[in-house]
Amino acid sequence: MNKSTYLYITIFAVVVGSMLAMQFRTASSDDLPVPFDRLQELTIEKKQLEKDVNQLQEEASDLEAKLEEAMISHAGAAGALESELYKIKLYAGLLPVVGPGVEVTLDNPSGAGLRYGENAGYTIKDEDLLRVLNDLRGAGAEAIAVNGQRILATSEVRLAGNHINVNLTRLSPPYKIIAIGNPGTLKSSLELKGGLAEYLSEQGALVNVETKEQIRVPAYDGSLRLEYAGPTQK
Amino acid sequence: MRSYKWAIILVGLVLGIMLAAQYRVTREIQANEVVQRAQELSTQIEKLKIDRDSFQKQVDELRSQLDEVTAGPQVSEIKEALEHARIEAGVSEVSGPGVEVTLNDSSVALKPGQNPNLYVLHDEDILRVLNELRAAGAEALSINGQRLLATTEVRCTGPTILLNKNKRLAPPYVITAIGNPDILESSLKMKGGVAETLQFWGIQVAVKKLPEVIVPAYSGGIRFEYAEAES
Repeated sequence: MNKSTYLYITIFAVVVGSMLAMQFRTASSDDLPVPFDRLQELTIEKKQLEKDVNQLQEEASDLEAKLEEAMISHAGAAGALESELYKIKLYAGLLPVVGPGVEVTLDNPSGAGLRYGENAGYTIKDEDLLRVLNDLRGAGAEAIAVNGQRILATSEVRLAGNHINVNLTRLSPPYKIIAIGNPGTLKSSLELKGGLAEYLSEQGALVNVETKEQIRVPAYDGSLRLEYAGPTQK
Repeated sequence: MRSYKWAIILVGLVLGIMLAAQYRVTREIQANEVVQRAQELSTQIEKLKIDRDSFQKQVDELRSQLDEVTAGPQVSEIKEALEHARIEAGVSEVSGPGVEVTLNDSSVALKPGQNPNLYVLHDEDILRVLNELRAAGAEALSINGQRLLATTEVRCTGPTILLNKNKRLAPPYVITAIGNPDILESSLKMKGGVAETLQFWGIQVAVKKLPEVIVPAYSGGIRFEYAEAES
């Protein structure tokens, strides 16, 4: 009697002990996701900053070379300014660029061959297009054009009846959006589960995303509207 | 009988101490590693920010030096084109008349059961305000001092928004736009416009016309990794 009680108590204690230990371990690992998210955030921030620093360094040495050239002669000065202008125009979207990327086609449903529940009257709205552009920018698109209209920092996307105006130019569906950047990242940013492509198809729009090895994004061909903004006088 | 009592007490004690020790050690190790790594990263980030700012300053200085050494009538045309291209590219600070639009989360007191997410500013709201301002002829735009480029995205992440890949902003969001102040203001305030829609959700929209606003330059690298000039 004495001996078996002893045994039972020991077994009981071991079981309770291991249960407790397991409980504690799961409880403490519950605290972890938050700091790990923070780590990820910090790592991304660091990576972007490193990229910024590298690019600025390159830019600085490029400018130094031009400055040197400009100080030698008048012809050198004009040449340096010309090449600086060319570079800035490239960044501003005033020159055509080529590179890998994606081609996104958005179209209104034609009305034929509709399945039950599909919306025949769906028209692609300016907001849909804005969100596609925003997703592509977030995925690192470097140059974007919609139906041949280059998207600048000041480009608007506005619904006007059945059309959409971009850069004060009237575009009609299908909308073909061309973006240069990492093709895989651009494509997946739109096609991820619960993402924009899924949402728009659900609404009845026809969405197609294709990666391209080499595409061309045209330059902005309108005139720059600069009536009010000027460089700050220092 | 006696030895049996002692044995139980002993087992209980040992078990308790082991458990407590185990728990504390694992917790401390996990917490320390994460905290330490985060601190390390934060210090590195601070240092990188200082580097970025000093390189940015260097680049700005070099640009104005280049402008200074190249004087004369034969280059004035190029210089004007360069000035305009820089404004469009977002690499120079610009000023002019414009508006300041302040957006803030809803002040509406929620009733139980209402979805609080409906009363919070979303990236889409900001995108729409920006789009209206662009359509009204805004020539340069910034949010909380962050210049908007052709490649700038606006992303909602929790209570903050993410801009220009890694610039995190918290409300209130102040959008500065240079352009015709009257047209910019009325584009937002027109009947059925963005301001009215947002106010329905209690989101606070304030538009202030100003004779002079400053839109800062973008700070950071703008070089392309994938796109190149067409040859």
